[in-house]
Amino acid sequence: MPIHDQGYRRYGGDKAPRGQAWLVIARNGIRHMLGKRAFLGLLLLSWFPFFVRAVQIYAAANIPQAQFLAPTPETFRQFLDQQQIFVFFVTVYVGAGLIANDRRANALQIYLSKPLTRSEYVFGKLAILMMFLVIVTWVPAIVLLIVQMAFAGNFTFLRNNIFLFPAITLFAFVQVALVATAMLALSSLSNSSRYVGILYSAVIFFTQAIYGVLFAVTRSTSFSWISFPANLSQVGDVIFRLPPKYETPWLVSLLVIAGVIAASGLVLERRVRGVEIVA
Amino acid sequence: MSATNGSDPRSPIVVADHLSKWYGQVIGLNDVSVSVPPGITGLLGPNGAGKSTFMKVITGQLKPSKGTITVLGETIWNNPSLYFRIGFCPEQDSFYERMTGLEWVTALVRLNGLSDADAAEMARRALEAVELTDAANKKIGAYSKGMRQRVKMAQALAHEPHLLILDEPLSGMDPIARRKTIRMVKDWARAGKSIIVSSHILHEIESMTSNILLINQGRILAEGNVHQIRDLIDEHPHTVYIRADQTRALARAFLAQDDVLSLRFEDEAIVVQTGRPDAFYSRLTDLAASGELGAIHEVTSPDDNLQAVFKYLVKS
Repeated sequence: MPIHDQGYRRYGGDKAPRGQAWLVIARNGIRHMLGKRAFLGLLLLSWFPFFVRAVQIYAAANIPQAQFLAPTPETFRQFLDQQQIFVFFVTVYVGAGLIANDRRANALQIYLSKPLTRSEYVFGKLAILMMFLVIVTWVPAIVLLIVQMAFAGNFTFLRNNIFLFPAITLFAFVQVALVATAMLALSSLSNSSRYVGILYSAVIFFTQAIYGVLFAVTRSTSFSWISFPANLSQVGDVIFRLPPKYETPWLVSLLVIAGVIAASGLVLERRVRGVEIVA
Repeated sequence: MSATNGSDPRSPIVVADHLSKWYGQVIGLNDVSVSVPPGITGLLGPNGAGKSTFMKVITGQLKPSKGTITVLGETIWNNPSLYFRIGFCPEQDSFYERMTGLEWVTALVRLNGLSDADAAEMARRALEAVELTDAANKKIGAYSKGMRQRVKMAQALAHEPHLLILDEPLSGMDPIARRKTIRMVKDWARAGKSIIVSSHILHEIESMTSNILLINQGRILAEGNVHQIRDLIDEHPHTVYIRADQTRALARAFLAQDDVLSLRFEDEAIVVQTGRPDAFYSRLTDLAASGELGAIHEVTSPDDNLQAVFKYLVKS
């Protein structure tokens, strides 16, 4: 009777090159989210404004009486503004549990004992949230631009507004980077995704409320730098070559955004560890 | 024994040189210098002795505050490529309870850079090695304590590491699962793996290896053959906590034995003090296997007796 080797054989197959472990984290997270019907519904709903705008562009291109609906660069800015509500919901739905759930499950110590660096882990988690945020911001805005060219049958609008493509890309990047890093940092602070969601909502609405109170008292918009959404709006206006809504210099708003991203990075650096250090 | 570290199979797998680790003002490891040889090494010490800190330094999760540590001949800190050669089974549960055992192990194996198909195959083999094939597709939330320990071990060995680090792997297991796990650890060592296993119970370590490191208050107190401290340990009664269905029947059976010094009831458990842990555990395993006195769900041991021995060693 032949005796088979019951011991372990060394793995002889291919291994992904170093530095790609973040892809595993990202793929798992994306697959997990796409398996949720409620989330797919939210994603579908987030494209509703796109269809409304597409009808508007179609009408402007094909019905002479609807010329007043013709898109301008501001149309794209407004579209991205409208998408902010979906950015908020997607951020809370996807982002709140990204690290919090791993912390609750004690999974970090196992993950980080594998060939996965802390930065790869954070990058993988960021990629999950950023991908879905790009799907509700940059992708529909760019498709809208393509739709405009398709319905108009020429490149005139794009030629006259050649800055639109980089403007949409830059604004979407700033928005997604700010929101994703801030949410990820908050997610690393707690073991409860519910608490993180509430905390994120509080940050958004509380900063806006404080600015609202200061505006009511001073009748000046120079305190808009306090508000999370106002800073984004101020920078967005500059990117889209529109007059800024607030008195705060756009550079200050940009610095606040950069500061929030940097602070989020610091929080992540301290909180994403395999071993919790209480000192 | 297969090669563990380059060409010389006798090379130490872990070398610590004046290694210290502080958590702020608290010291976790205090000037530890030690060489861990290939094979099974038991890391024995009471709770809070520094066992887990030492293991987390070995697995590269903690940066030494002072001194150096090399694992399999390389510096471990900031060297994730070395993690492929190490398998770590933490003491704490680290699960997504809604995932099945197979899904969980596969996802973790993927982090080693393997394809989905290869990772799933390796996960299946690892689950088979820890005798969890039947439960592979069950949710981890439905696993017993012993199954949870075994699925943690499966993720540690699935990628076929050279060095396995097991932090209190027998904690909370029932006697039969304990016996199976001890056998598995010995089999892995025979298959050429080096294993560092921690426990606060001498009996557990002794059943796996005679090579031990005694650690207390962040210092290595002794290293070498377990039999040298065996007599010291036996001078101090060993406490065993047993959670079972029929505690009174078990108590009657225990009281008939000479080596049982005392016992008391606690909720659905009994706490026994014995002068001869070897004989006691052997009988307990037989009792659990026979099922005569109902199911035994959990066996744990506080470290009172070990603490007494450490006090003795420190004083001497």
